[in-house]
Amino acid sequence: MAEVDFSNQRALLIEDMAEARILQKKMLSDFGFKQIEMAMKAESAIELLRLNTYDVVLSDYNLGSGKDGQQLLEEVRHSSLIPNTSTYLMVTAETSIEMVMGAIEYQPDGYISKPFSQALLQRRLLKLVESKQKLYSVNHALDKKNYELAIKEADQVTEDFPFLESKCARIKGDCFLELKQFDNAVDLFQTALKERKMPWALFGLAKAYFFKGNYEEAESRFRQLMLDNRFFVNAYDWLAKCQIKQNKIAEAQATLIDAVAKSPKAILRQIELGELSAQLNDFQTAEMSFRRAVFLAKHSIYSNSSIYFQHLKSFIGIAKEHELTGRQVDNFKITLKKIQKLFGDNPKIKSGSYEIEIELFLTLDKVGQAKSAHLLYKQDIEIGLAVPKTERFIKKIEPLLGD
Amino acid sequence: MNKVDISVILASSIHESKNAVGSLMYQLQTLKSELEVPLEQVEKINNIEEGLKQLNDEWVEYLYLFKLASDGYDLQTETLQVNEFLDDQVFVLSQSATAKNLILNYQCDESLLANFDERLLTSVISTAVYNALRFAKSKITLRAELRNEFLVFLIDDDGPGFSDTENEEEHDFLQNNTGLGLYFTELSAQAHTNKGKQGYIEKSASIILNGACLSIYIPQ
Repeated sequence: MAEVDFSNQRALLIEDMAEARILQKKMLSDFGFKQIEMAMKAESAIELLRLNTYDVVLSDYNLGSGKDGQQLLEEVRHSSLIPNTSTYLMVTAETSIEMVMGAIEYQPDGYISKPFSQALLQRRLLKLVESKQKLYSVNHALDKKNYELAIKEADQVTEDFPFLESKCARIKGDCFLELKQFDNAVDLFQTALKERKMPWALFGLAKAYFFKGNYEEAESRFRQLMLDNRFFVNAYDWLAKCQIKQNKIAEAQATLIDAVAKSPKAILRQIELGELSAQLNDFQTAEMSFRRAVFLAKHSIYSNSSIYFQHLKSFIGIAKEHELTGRQVDNFKITLKKIQKLFGDNPKIKSGSYEIEIELFLTLDKVGQAKSAHLLYKQDIEIGLAVPKTERFIKKIEPLLGD
Repeated sequence: MNKVDISVILASSIHESKNAVGSLMYQLQTLKSELEVPLEQVEKINNIEEGLKQLNDEWVEYLYLFKLASDGYDLQTETLQVNEFLDDQVFVLSQSATAKNLILNYQCDESLLANFDERLLTSVISTAVYNALRFAKSKITLRAELRNEFLVFLIDDDGPGFSDTENEEEHDFLQNNTGLGLYFTELSAQAHTNKGKQGYIEKSASIILNGACLSIYIPQ
């Protein structure tokens, strides 16, 4: 095995159980790592990954009550918080391995099953790092988003190390998709599928058809992936995208409701379902989805004010049809408070929250409360804490205030 | 309560037990690294460690078996370097072999690439090796080769062999006389399918070691 010097490398260890964390830290320092940082849950790991770049990440799949290791991986990969050149090793139990392997889109570089000995971890890590070194030029190009170069480098790696062919083919396929060379992508994935029905190739092919606008071909393959692999919930998201493109909005909503039932913790999916439901005037479902999204947004990189505003808007949608329950009014207030607390320094967002609050009071026929909020709004505009009223507010809402 | 419920309950109890074993292994490892244990005691600790590891591997096998038998396992095949895979297996199982004064080695073409579910086959190989450990006199050899679009794993030992045993059933992976090991191996092989072909297993006399030989066929 190659000699790898870990002493100038930086490791992040994510493990919720103290016993295992202490032992694993000792293992890593025995391997020579001088810099080892630790996180007990996904949320604190994200904070660390935002601040630092790690050469090696060792993460448990089970991370207690918050996000699990797979969701953490998806979030940091999606947002490029961890470079492709780093090594990501996931610690799994036998019961969670299917969930991790089933997530075709974002996978760690390797897995190790609990419990493991120091010798086994060292061996796994060395092998992974070695393989990462062989793929360094490819991953470096990916990090620079230079997909043409990545394809060229992948061809070279395949030539030098034939056992990496499948890995390189997969990377090339994704590069073709990034470069919008969809015909090349279709060719590559079809060739791979001729050999064997590999899920990544089927998924790649389905996406290529989707981007080509060939929605029926794409749909049948996403459905195949859903059948083949119960744990690949992202196939539902893509099926819903196909249905939206074909203007089958109600069907897309039903697909996402299924997906959310299977995997409720994915924030982007909740947002998508909320938006679709609002489009269908199904404000009850929209409210539920955005309420969950607001909950998940805490500590998420996807947190932004729009999620909160859309949650508030869904209450106005409901209120136009039914009286709001006491609980719904409370939920509205909770989310309103969250916006003010998280984004209140931003005058534009402050205005937005005033306007939606006033609109809800008016919808509920609470003109008095609307008027006092309006007063505060005007004061905040004068002292610059809020920006001037929007045109929609001046035209549609203000006349209803009657002053 | 019906039978299905009970099997699910059993499976989750096994899972709990497996986690408990895992925790004991961690504690033992920590203890070993913190204490200055005299040489004669090291062996005893290693034996406990070894016993716990085997127990853990057995629980893992039963969990996979439960999933396979209840049709709840999604096969995860990847293209792998078979040589590396066997090297890994020998690495983790060699401590068990050494404890019994047996040699465990492997033979495989370095360039051999094949598709299979790495984790499932890891459990299959350890089941087969633990079984062979009970019969081998001095040696167990793992081999892998391609034959007619099948990847074949062969586990050979120099024990009495299948035919020499009075009752053949007794030799067959009778961990605790339940025959589960062989059943598990068979289900795992069968779970692998490709281009209309299905995996299977074969018992025979070992040509290279004169004991028993178990072959596991995985379609490519």
